[in-house]
Amino acid sequence: MNHLLAHSLLGLCLCAPLAAQAQDKYPSRTISIVSPFPPGGTSDLTARQLAPVLERIFKQPVTVQNRPGAAGATGAQVVANATPDGYTLILHLVSISALPERDKLFGTKPAYTRDQFVGIARLTADPPMLVVHPSLPVKNLKEFVSLAKKKPGEMIFSSSGLYGASHVPYEMFLQAAGLKMRHLPTTGGAPAMTAVLGGHAISWACPPNIAAPHLQSGKVRAYAQWGAKRLEAFPDVRTFKEQGYDIEYYLWGGLFAPKDIPPQVFNTLRETVRKAVADPDFIKGMEKIRTPIAYQDADEFKAFWDKDAAKLARVIQKIGKVAK
Amino acid sequence: MVETFQNLLLGFSIALSPSILVYAFAGCIIGTLVGMMPGLGPLAGISLLLPATFGLNPIIAIVLLSGVYYGAMYGGSTTSILVRIPGEAASVMTCIDGYEMTKNGRAGPALAIAAIGSFIAGTVGVIGLMLLAPTLAEFALRFGPPEYTALLMMGLFILAYMSSGSTIKTLASAGLGLLLGMIGIDVMSGYTRFSFDVVELGDGVGIVPVAVGLFGISEILLTAGQAAAVKVQRPRLRDLIPSREEFRLSVGPIARGSLLGFMIGIIPGSAHIISSFVSYGMERRLAKDPERFGKGAIEGVAGPESANNAAASGAFVPMMALGIPTSPVTAVMIAAIMVHGISPGPLLISQQPELFWGFVASMYVGNVVLLILNLPMVGLFVNLLRIPYSYLYPCILAFCILGTYSVANSMLDVWMMLIMGGIGYILRKFHYDLAPIALGLVLAPMLELSLRQSLAMSAGDYGIFLERPIATTMFALGLLLFLLAIKPLIFKRGKDWRKDVGLEGEQG
Repeated sequence: MNHLLAHSLLGLCLCAPLAAQAQDKYPSRTISIVSPFPPGGTSDLTARQLAPVLERIFKQPVTVQNRPGAAGATGAQVVANATPDGYTLILHLVSISALPERDKLFGTKPAYTRDQFVGIARLTADPPMLVVHPSLPVKNLKEFVSLAKKKPGEMIFSSSGLYGASHVPYEMFLQAAGLKMRHLPTTGGAPAMTAVLGGHAISWACPPNIAAPHLQSGKVRAYAQWGAKRLEAFPDVRTFKEQGYDIEYYLWGGLFAPKDIPPQVFNTLRETVRKAVADPDFIKGMEKIRTPIAYQDADEFKAFWDKDAAKLARVIQKIGKVAK
Repeated sequence: MVETFQNLLLGFSIALSPSILVYAFAGCIIGTLVGMMPGLGPLAGISLLLPATFGLNPIIAIVLLSGVYYGAMYGGSTTSILVRIPGEAASVMTCIDGYEMTKNGRAGPALAIAAIGSFIAGTVGVIGLMLLAPTLAEFALRFGPPEYTALLMMGLFILAYMSSGSTIKTLASAGLGLLLGMIGIDVMSGYTRFSFDVVELGDGVGIVPVAVGLFGISEILLTAGQAAAVKVQRPRLRDLIPSREEFRLSVGPIARGSLLGFMIGIIPGSAHIISSFVSYGMERRLAKDPERFGKGAIEGVAGPESANNAAASGAFVPMMALGIPTSPVTAVMIAAIMVHGISPGPLLISQQPELFWGFVASMYVGNVVLLILNLPMVGLFVNLLRIPYSYLYPCILAFCILGTYSVANSMLDVWMMLIMGGIGYILRKFHYDLAPIALGLVLAPMLELSLRQSLAMSAGDYGIFLERPIATTMFALGLLLFLLAIKPLIFKRGKDWRKDVGLEGEQG
């Protein structure tokens, strides 16, 4: 018994320096990915597909934490002010750029600013689709636009929320086509879809994975989408660009860290995420939630994000304050 | 009909297979426990459990989560009745008469009636879901913002019936609730109101911390302030079973609550929350002696408890038939099946019959499980009251804080709950009713949103409420209710009119 104890002690002594070394190497403890939206949303589901793959590569637990609130501002604010050690990350969506713009428009203190974050990778980028209630006597985008032109300010489009991820692209379309419509903002993707299904609004910019089952059953029609090229799942739906409108917009999702993260930690994360998105488990998981992977590495993502945010800012400024 | 029967057989063959039965049981037990945690409701329960279902098959996932859902709906009533702490918004009404019954030593019957009512309502709901889902779902879609506004206006009229005290004080409480509901980002203009640069307040004030604080914490404070030590209750066995009279009084409310709850549950939006409010208002209106309400009327437990469980089943109608989530709870459930590569939509029932019918059958099973799980437990729960308050209440306080924090990992909610506890304590000292605050807080944002959405649809024209048959009918009904409520004010002039206006605590 005694020498068992001695051996264990010896073992502990030998291990101690190793443990100390491991402490320095990132990651040495649980990494948490914050999802700033409620469970079940795109950000949450993507994070939950990514987490187990990262966990396998890092050999450290990776957990997903939901910090929903204020259309994604609460979670972003929490992570923006978290210790920049690489153990707190956030999986945010395109709305990360819109929220500070809204604050700017109203002159309120912003919850966070864009430059408090650094992008590790873009993971997804799905163009929304212009879905239309089937009762409308139009068969394509051209007829839809000319009908809307005949009734300026009468047709109603809905969205997931004012200045939100589906309002901005619709405004881009209205501005490009020179149309005027009434706006019915709701509180999320599901109520926006419900409004169109019930005929209370006639159209909205709908994410493909929400649209899919309703298109299939003929409850709505899709006349265009905001991407640069055709969607794999809907090869028949033409892009706006093909139909003569120079607009492009994506409902993208990316992984971010607080800005002052140490460079070597950042590089480790960047490399690991690159490996993770190519992992068969992640690919299969994303297929199931019908959100195609559209990976961009940090540098490429930064260029994309800057350009995208500038575009968004212009649209939001142009919408301006809705209430006088 | 034959086809439905065959499908149902298929469903039961799935639901009764041991592996699924085990998960239905587990779901009900977890749900009941979650519901009993103060502050934790069905949404928190299934959100926390969602990631755990990713590794299961889709049928098991949905059976497990729905078990948690209606288990929590039931569990919420237990704490409401025993210690006046609502597990979630739908149990607020149960607090009023349920807790009074506990104080009268009738906790057992209250719990038993809540269990039986939930069982009947749950079963009625499943039958409705099974037979009418596709038809009703199409009807539910016709509920746009104007119809919703009309429904909520009816809810607002019910406020007047809610209190047993003075009308003026009821309206003051309701006003406070409505004002609290104004906090947050205005969906229609984007302005942030009354948030004082606290980002979390952008979403407004959550109903759970407010309800737990107002009802639960204030009760704890009041007990602590009493000069004489509160007598610990020692319920006897024969006090556990509802009397014949209590059964007789509960039949009507359970039946009405089941139907009403199911119909309201179907409507898109978070309408199910108001089902229990509407049921309570209705029972009070229909009762021969409304004065008993607020003093331990069993109808005030039977009606709302049935209504909220039926509404829980009703919410599955648009989810299953159309694939649209009408509440946060069903949104999480849709995510649970989506991660398995099944996209819920109008074709779900025909493309995935095993999923739908297995789910329906498992709800029958789950309701039975809940009943046999909970009826024998009534004795156990009631015996919790034997614990001296000096031990029981600190534990409850700790659970309240824990539960409230864990819903959104937010300290702000905890502070909100504690502050509301203080406000609730003060208001109760001045004999203000607290239920109208909770109802006001629930109604205000929903009513404001739907009213302004309606006006956005019509470009500011109020005529939209008269152009749409459903909305117009409901407004007419609401107006009738309102006129009935003010009738005594106009026609009882013979006596002292001031009494009727409510200055003397008279109630319409």
